Amino acid sequence: MASNQLPGPASGRTSSAASHRNGSIPQQRTSLTAMPPARPTRSPQPFDRNSDQSARNKPLSTGTGASSQHSSLSVGAQLIYEKPVERPRKLRSQYPRSSSENHVEYILVASFDIDRGPVMEHQYPVAITGDEHMLAELMLPDQAHVRNQDWTIFFLHKDTSQEEDDAERQAKEARRARRNRKRDRARGIIHESDDEGGELKGLDDDDDDDDDDDDFWDDDESTDSEPDGFEGPPLVYVLNLVNTKQDKTVKRGAVVKAMAICTRHPFLHIYKPLLLLALEEYFKSPVPETLALLYNAVNEMDLSLMPKLNWLERHLLQSSENKDLFVEKFEEMIQARIMGASGVDQPLDASKGPPSRPSIFRSGSRAHIEGHAVYVVPRDTHEFESKVLYKGIPIPIKVPVAVMPEIVGDFSLIKLIQNFSDSHSKTPHSFQLHPHLTTNGPNTHPIIVLINALLTQKRVIFLGHNMPSGEVAEAVLAACALASGGILRGFTRYAFPYTDLTKVDDLLKVPGFIAGVTNPTFEHHPEWWDLLCDLPSGKMKISTKIEAAPITEGLVYFQQQNPAYANLVHNSAGNGGGGGGGLSSSSSSSSAANDLTGDAAFMADILRSITTRAGERVIRAKWRAWVLKFTRIAAAFEESVYGASALYTGHGDDGQEGLPSAIGSAQGHGYVWVDEATKAKELAGNVARIEGWRNTRSYYSFIQDIARLSLIRPLRGLDLGHLHDRLRTQRLTPAQSRDIYDTLAQHVRSYDEICLLLSVAPESQAGLFYIALGLFHKDREVRFRTADLLERVAEHEAGQHWWRVLSRFEKLAYVRIKREAEAEARAKGGKEEGMMGDVGIGRVA
Amino acid sequence: MGNSLSISSLFGKLFGSKEVRILMLGLDAAGKTTILYKLKLNQTMTTIPTVGFNVETFTYKNIRFNMWDVGGQDKIRPLWRHYYSGTQGLVFVVDSSDHNRIEEAKTELHRILNDLEMSDCLLLVFANKQDLEGAMDPQAITDKLELSRLRDQRPWFVQPAIATEGEGLTEGFGWLSDNIKKTPKYGGGGK
Repeated sequence: MASNQLPGPASGRTSSAASHRNGSIPQQRTSLTAMPPARPTRSPQPFDRNSDQSARNKPLSTGTGASSQHSSLSVGAQLIYEKPVERPRKLRSQYPRSSSENHVEYILVASFDIDRGPVMEHQYPVAITGDEHMLAELMLPDQAHVRNQDWTIFFLHKDTSQEEDDAERQAKEARRARRNRKRDRARGIIHESDDEGGELKGLDDDDDDDDDDDDFWDDDESTDSEPDGFEGPPLVYVLNLVNTKQDKTVKRGAVVKAMAICTRHPFLHIYKPLLLLALEEYFKSPVPETLALLYNAVNEMDLSLMPKLNWLERHLLQSSENKDLFVEKFEEMIQARIMGASGVDQPLDASKGPPSRPSIFRSGSRAHIEGHAVYVVPRDTHEFESKVLYKGIPIPIKVPVAVMPEIVGDFSLIKLIQNFSDSHSKTPHSFQLHPHLTTNGPNTHPIIVLINALLTQKRVIFLGHNMPSGEVAEAVLAACALASGGILRGFTRYAFPYTDLTKVDDLLKVPGFIAGVTNPTFEHHPEWWDLLCDLPSGKMKISTKIEAAPITEGLVYFQQQNPAYANLVHNSAGNGGGGGGGLSSSSSSSSAANDLTGDAAFMADILRSITTRAGERVIRAKWRAWVLKFTRIAAAFEESVYGASALYTGHGDDGQEGLPSAIGSAQGHGYVWVDEATKAKELAGNVARIEGWRNTRSYYSFIQDIARLSLIRPLRGLDLGHLHDRLRTQRLTPAQSRDIYDTLAQHVRSYDEICLLLSVAPESQAGLFYIALGLFHKDREVRFRTADLLERVAEHEAGQHWWRVLSRFEKLAYVRIKREAEAEARAKGGKEEGMMGDVGIGRVA
Repeated sequence: MGNSLSISSLFGKLFGSKEVRILMLGLDAAGKTTILYKLKLNQTMTTIPTVGFNVETFTYKNIRFNMWDVGGQDKIRPLWRHYYSGTQGLVFVVDSSDHNRIEEAKTELHRILNDLEMSDCLLLVFANKQDLEGAMDPQAITDKLELSRLRDQRPWFVQPAIATEGEGLTEGFGWLSDNIKKTPKYGGGGK
């Protein structure tokens, strides 16, 4: 393009950019890889702490911390560790412009040939290797002929073979050319005011540099914060639209065609409006160019201003209702773009913006609507707003910012739960008993039966006869999310959101799956499934041919260890029994009455939330909490029965050398029960399904995730969740709570550490309430230290939102304590620097 | 409307009518879907190729038929076997005017009947499209399909039909219901 002419200034700029990079890359590497090991080598001496703190408190007490802060690019590992609340690393885009990843990899078109059945018509840019006919079948769902339009979703498991690599390489060439075009266009669109020409070329070179940088970063990043990638290559998600058009002019009166988009993004639902337009277009001109048009349009979608969040930030955003959470990151991305565009090539987080701050507006604001705004910050930080230009029509697109594992597409947990709750509440199901599934006896809530089936890796089929296959697929995706909670994995990989009889032989080779079908013939084959969820009737059925749950060692040990609770264990539904103490209908009905698992109460709460119109996000957060609790109970069970658990990697309670360790009685980890009897009962209620979970894919991948996270997570050796739960649930002596508050105040300091603390005290539960109770502790020092901790939280990018909703009486206590500390410090007259730091005067936020 | 519905369901109970699963197969464009909807709705529908299957339930002579109509393109014929289990009657539909493919129809029919799960089900053949020129008569169809090869214990019957007019359908299902009542499965050789 025009960028081939290369005027002088541009080349100069390029080289300066390159040299800047040379300077920054190695440091970036050290700062990232050095961070986790930096910690263990440092001995956790309180004295050390104080000096850290004084260094840190100085900028804070001046009140203009921002201006004096250092760039993370120029600091060593030591400094990064000390930095209290600001973000420790350079902010990146989730989908950088220079990335070689396309949003969409393939566009496919299939049709139902009246002589040959489903056939593939076109594939773009290249053909997907593998069974083309199988793909065509998936694209033309059963009974497509009875409705005008239907959506389906299915996943492809790509195995990278030789030939594919070659195809990939060819595609990459094409992609590169297209990307260059895209980049130019993006520049043109986004800032029209820029003078084109040399500037463009310079930026292109810059971006090419970035390519290497990005590969490097991504590798690094994947070991740093992404707990995935060892499950095999990522799935290719396929969103498919099928249309049936009556047409008198053709043989047998109708044309059935389907178009599909294949992407690695789990948020494939964003492409729905585009597929609608493009398939319509294809009916008019059934040529490969129509596919190319769509392919290019979607791949030119610009998501480069969407910031990349780390796993803690994603968890926080995901479970928060707050529409402003992390809005600063969006602003920062824009700021960096503006600086990049105006030629001021500076590190992203070096300064808080140039004096003439160009127009950044909130999406939906007046300036935005009137078109003054060049850049906009999304109105809800959960969604990044972009657009796709298809045939000159701008189609608005919203992309989820915090993408969690196993959350694919657009579904509703509420819809799924209601679908199977309504008929149950009218006439309770009476399930055939199975220890893994009916954990509350024959009247276990169907949704609990479903989640149990998923956790214990059963074969689950959602049947929606006479329903659009898109709705069936949605139920499957919702079920995956239900069981995962964004915590466990291994469900979507074995999910078949829509499948049919043609795949049944392959399906049955999969041990444990979640499949969506519309063909009622599946119901007639109980040997194909363990749990059948009939969507139209809202009923579930446990297969008569389900494999009996084995009597496991863990179950027997538990019964031996806890003879008093042995007969509460609902093991084996009369088939083969024998193993331990007791069982049978009497025990299962007693467990139902006692609700040992707490699931009945949990479901009641969920349904109450739904009737009081709590949103989808609230329900998802509650399920997430359920899944988290299940994993923690499982860990406690393993520790009590097997003596150890791979589900906990806190390196014991005694504190390993170099790891932050708890103070005094604040040691301990895991799920917190009020007392031992409660614990034994809850374990008894969970034994069967925990044992059923213990050799599933989700169990093993969870262990891997935990191990991996333990390397990168802040505060290894401390279980903040445990500490917080003790404050929340247990009756503690002043000494015990002092140890907990002191532990928190001593260790929770850095940006990530505060994120971690926030994640165990979600806004949707009590937020900072229990932590702030430390402001009322008997011990004055505890009150001071808690106030310091809260001050750090209040100045934290995410913590400020938690602080804002803290109860008024706790905030007042905070102000009072701060004044007290201030007065005391003044009295001492700063005769001791270290002490000064310890009770440092901060700004009340 | 509501009245007549409740009466029919009452009758259902009185006579203890069970649901009988019928599978309707045949080459593509033989007229399966047309037969299904003519029986179900007494309407002649313009049908388009079946993607997958259709299934409908209707009552005839106090028997509730749960009738499956499965698409006939050769590519999807291997799926037919998944519908076999629990099937009490096979309705095989032939386009009597299609001389070129009658041999293909024969092969498919015998392949179905040889399956273990279909070993004792009834067989009703609709020699469809009798109104078309050059249509083979029932005897010719019987010969071409080599029905004489079938073992004696399996009741079978060839019924000429014009699905679009509804001609022959009641006769065919009359034969089917009479024979179902005779089978031990359906409550033993009652009348």
